[in-house]
Amino acid sequence: MEFFLDILPHILNGLTIGLLFALIALGFTLIVGVMELINLAHGSLFALGAYLALATMSYLGASGFTSPTIFQYSAALVVAPIGVAGVGMGLELGMRRTYGKDPLYGLLFTFGAALVIEEGIRQFWGSNDLYFPTPSFISGPIILGDLFYPKYRIFASIFAIIMIILLWFFIERTKVGAIIKAGAHDSEMVRALGINLTVLRAGVFALGTALAGIAGIILGPIWGVRPHMGVDAVIPAFLIVVVGGVGSFRGSVIAGIAVGLTSGITAYFAEDWSILSIYILLAVVLIVRQRGLFGKASSLDT
Amino acid sequence: MTQILSKFRTDFIKMGLVFIFLATVPLWIGRIGLYDYIALEILIWCIYAMGYNLALGYTGLPSFGHGAFFGIGAYAMAIYQFHFGGTSLWIGLSLSILAGIVFGAVTGGLVSHRRGIYFALLTIAFGQMFWFLAIKLRDVTKGEDGLLNLERLPVDFGFFSIDISSSNSLYYFSLVIFVIVVVLLWLLIHSNFGYVIRALKQNETRAQFLGYNVRFFKLISFTLSCAISALAGGLFALAQRSAFPDVMALHWSGIIVMMVIIGGGMVSFWGPVLGVMFYFITRDIVGGITEAWLMWFGAAFMAVIVFQPEGIAGMWGNLSKRFQRVNTKTKLEEPQEAQHEPV
Repeated sequence: MEFFLDILPHILNGLTIGLLFALIALGFTLIVGVMELINLAHGSLFALGAYLALATMSYLGASGFTSPTIFQYSAALVVAPIGVAGVGMGLELGMRRTYGKDPLYGLLFTFGAALVIEEGIRQFWGSNDLYFPTPSFISGPIILGDLFYPKYRIFASIFAIIMIILLWFFIERTKVGAIIKAGAHDSEMVRALGINLTVLRAGVFALGTALAGIAGIILGPIWGVRPHMGVDAVIPAFLIVVVGGVGSFRGSVIAGIAVGLTSGITAYFAEDWSILSIYILLAVVLIVRQRGLFGKASSLDT
Repeated sequence: MTQILSKFRTDFIKMGLVFIFLATVPLWIGRIGLYDYIALEILIWCIYAMGYNLALGYTGLPSFGHGAFFGIGAYAMAIYQFHFGGTSLWIGLSLSILAGIVFGAVTGGLVSHRRGIYFALLTIAFGQMFWFLAIKLRDVTKGEDGLLNLERLPVDFGFFSIDISSSNSLYYFSLVIFVIVVVLLWLLIHSNFGYVIRALKQNETRAQFLGYNVRFFKLISFTLSCAISALAGGLFALAQRSAFPDVMALHWSGIIVMMVIIGGGMVSFWGPVLGVMFYFITRDIVGGITEAWLMWFGAAFMAVIVFQPEGIAGMWGNLSKRFQRVNTKTKLEEPQEAQHEPV
């Protein structure tokens, strides 16, 4: 019992982080699926989401270490992802000339973009860690018997679960979702059926990057906001995509939770090595199943 | 064979000119407002970039984790001096190369069945893992600070030895290594092995159908590339008098890709050298004007990718081709593929 109470917060932490990683990975895998592009700027856009949310809240009058009102916080949750999606669409527009060439060029383009966004953040907001205040109804601890646990993390988990369900509903149950899935399967054929591929690509890029922005806002209060926070989020997201299988919705969610739990539980035993455990998980999965847990043969293999 | 010999003769003159140019650098670099150390740094990164381009430009393996092998080479030299009290330059550099081969072969063995951007994704993962280990294995690597106060060991030939503790003398020693690496790379690329890796870069499936074990060729090429990167890393540890985990992170692994692409490594043997020079000279000139120089470099890189994906060497090639076309109007145009093939 004693052991269980000690390890429970670590399991819950792992679950929270895992669900948020899954959200980042889903945005990432949507873009990989439809555009056959690894978006290396995903991490920088994640950080940009957090910074834009801070800017929105302070524009609406929240200042310093006081809790923002629910209105200010919700406004940030809407405005910042839209801003990030706008930047994402700008990126997609900029790299159109690389389509049809070696996919390496798209990847390199986004690496350049990642540098520009990260340095831009540094110039605009400075290099220091910023504090991300949360509304009072989700601040402070929740007490369950002997267990103290931050309310905010519970909120973050529920928020991530709702986002994942909404996204699943959108992809699996709407017509646009069907087009996105078809586009991931064979974009040329989708175009032949009269769908505007240009709009589809811009839309998918906006959606994928907006998800990264949302994850940045939700993770901001947990990690603190700093210019290079993107790398800490995007590397696990890459690994989740590989572990879960490229292009698989289910795979990303399950791998996200698995990665979160692995690092959370390892953190209980050896704080320093929690990140390494993710790599070990990756190695094990790749040795057992080359395409990841739920991966099918994809265009990425060629 | 005679073709290779005549090719070698023309390229040999070019190579000789580059080497002579590089040999004169310490004589005038102070006078144009730069300093000795930057010449050394550029030269070491040139070795690294040439090695990296064997994987990227010639075999088509977009490794985004090469910084790890550069760093591993540096650590091999540093650990040899720090933990084993090593005093022989030759053993130190051999250990750097050996570490590059071992870690490169293990990583290559796990990723060489992949290609394209999946390969890039996996090399990111491995690069980050090695970087993470370098930070966390504090007993061996001293964590984020790294191993400091290394010796620039003398070049010992038994009967006499040369001191290379000044930046200029280490520069000339590195130049000798650069010459050896460049000549060996040239020979490798123009050997049968070189033709196979260039073929599998163009079309892996076709190379496989011709009976080549592509996975084996990719593994060997990747491992050699890691070995050269690690050798450069060993020299870097001497130049910096330290080894630290910074250069192993994704950031620096990406920067070496940027250097090689901007220079035109995809289309030219000398592309990586141009790219490295462009990077360091931009850093020193633009970096003197604005702190946000990396932002401008990133933006310039995005423009290169969109408008001039063949980089500086490609630009030069197009210009000189246009010039030749004006001069010899009757001559038939070169086949188009030749533009995309490193020469």
